[in-house]
Amino acid sequence: MLQHGPLLERLLAGDFICRITDEDAYRHLSLEQTQQDINHYLRPLNRRLVSNDDQSVYFLGYYELNKEAREQLSQQFAQTVQSLLPLLEWLQLVQETLGRDSALTAGDTIKLQEFVLRTEDNQSLRQRLNTLASDRFFNSQSEQLDSQVKLIFRRLKEHGYLLQPHADRQYYIVTGKIDYLIDVIRFIRDEEHLPVEDTPQQEALL
Amino acid sequence: MAPLDPTPGIASNLFNTGAERLALLGKYHKQLMQGYLDGYVDETAFSEGALKKLIAARILWRPDEQQPLALRPLVSELIASMVADENRRQINADVAEKLEQIRNRVQAYRDAQYKGDYAVAELQLQRLTEHVHDLSGQFEEAIDSLWHRLNSDFGFVSSLDDKIRENERAQKQLRRLLDGLDLLDFTELIELSEGNNHLRKLLVSQLQSQLSSHHSSLLEVQKRLVELLAKFRQQQSRSLLISNMVAFLRQHPKYQPADYPNRSELPDLFNQASAIRPQAAIALDKASERQILAELVRALPRQVAVTLSDTPSASFSELLQDEEIAARQLALKTDVENFYLRVIDRGGSLSALEYLTEQQLPWDSEIWLYQILAEYQALPASEKQMFRLQREESPASAVNSLYLIRDISIGLQAA
Repeated sequence: MLQHGPLLERLLAGDFICRITDEDAYRHLSLEQTQQDINHYLRPLNRRLVSNDDQSVYFLGYYELNKEAREQLSQQFAQTVQSLLPLLEWLQLVQETLGRDSALTAGDTIKLQEFVLRTEDNQSLRQRLNTLASDRFFNSQSEQLDSQVKLIFRRLKEHGYLLQPHADRQYYIVTGKIDYLIDVIRFIRDEEHLPVEDTPQQEALL
Repeated sequence: MAPLDPTPGIASNLFNTGAERLALLGKYHKQLMQGYLDGYVDETAFSEGALKKLIAARILWRPDEQQPLALRPLVSELIASMVADENRRQINADVAEKLEQIRNRVQAYRDAQYKGDYAVAELQLQRLTEHVHDLSGQFEEAIDSLWHRLNSDFGFVSSLDDKIRENERAQKQLRRLLDGLDLLDFTELIELSEGNNHLRKLLVSQLQSQLSSHHSSLLEVQKRLVELLAKFRQQQSRSLLISNMVAFLRQHPKYQPADYPNRSELPDLFNQASAIRPQAAIALDKASERQILAELVRALPRQVAVTLSDTPSASFSELLQDEEIAARQLALKTDVENFYLRVIDRGGSLSALEYLTEQQLPWDSEIWLYQILAEYQALPASEKQMFRLQREESPASAVNSLYLIRDISIGLQAA
């Protein structure tokens, strides 16, 4: 267990471990033996290893769902639901601003400066960014584009959606937590039978 | 099958015409390349004679009376292959025709040998070699094109939908190529080459090894194409999911999903435990670790007491200040210090302004009071207690409750 000390500490701290955030740790976590070892170790702490459906990201959940755990999870869930729209809007905004033909996925790199430059010259993007920055999730008080963007990216980094490899260099890598977010949306969509399609219409193909 | 004529006269005629026509490609390379890009050629860019020559050389043609002149498809294809233009590169997956030609050539070669016509046999063998290389080259070209498209992530088309369509097209081509490879029956080729070393080398050892390597390349390409298509589709569905979900949430701002955390069967996705941050402190109960602890303590950065000598600070302020001002300030300071000394001598309370007039000191009364207050504040707490400071204050005016200090009295505090 000793060799997994740092990994356990990160997991206990609530970090999501994916191929991007920690490749070695992720590889270890993909082994069944390690999963068993870690779960065994975490048992007295009422924690266990949880992953999303395609096992691209690991995090800790409760082993036993007692009252406190449920309360905490309800709170967590409320926050997640509240953050859905701002996060999705951000994904959309980045995709459109950078002229990408697909949504961001784990491992994609975003250069902050490029994002700022492209937003600067475009009134409608600027407007959307302004609205997004003042959303409760990001909660920016600034009117300056530069500080709005910096704040948005910092918040996303704090929430684990982005990784900044060098603290003094303004580029970010999208982590596997984005996959988690997409899974959450897909789950809610399926569960509630929301009219939200994700396959192209046949007419569109023809 | 075209009749073969090995007579040197016609061959040299062929050579001359071919060389001449190839030269046309070079001579008009810019105009022709523009024609490739535009889809038609600008007839005004050529002289009438040149146009005639190009048409006669089957480089340009007019597909229809109303249409402008354009490059012949074979020429376009040649350019597409030369510049690896994946938008226009063609893959020829027709293996059956090639096989048929190979069979015929082998027959013609054997017939010539049988008749003892060695010159013809030699020529037939040469044509046969070309066909075999052609067959292999056809696969090579196709594989090259497929890899090129894969490695550029189908970057030659811009939208994801186009990429998906291109990928599907490539997969169809690939299946046709694989079907073509299946047509090649090596037992047949072995039979064809029976008893002849040249044929065996060409048709069996060479072709077989080439085709088997093509086969494995094609399978690898196929695997990668399928993977890439899956990735494209995943990206497509993700983009759609995001935009449709955004639209939904905007339309239903009060939307609240079911209370998953309180379900009896909690979905794993929503089981995200609160953070535990392990804390640790130094333990002193292990004697064996004392040594290490002592080293750690020693390694701590020490708080070095800052003892500033007088000299650097004095020179520092001199650098910044005018010498005259510094001298005046020093004089003021000395006078104030004398005032405090007088207070200590007298024992009783002493008014600052009275002292100022009494000693006929040159200071402005306000500055004088400030300096006395500043000096008082600068005293160490223990010494501050020794003095009693009394302010003589009055309101600024009847309507303003701001108090102005008129005078200060300092006295020794009764111990």
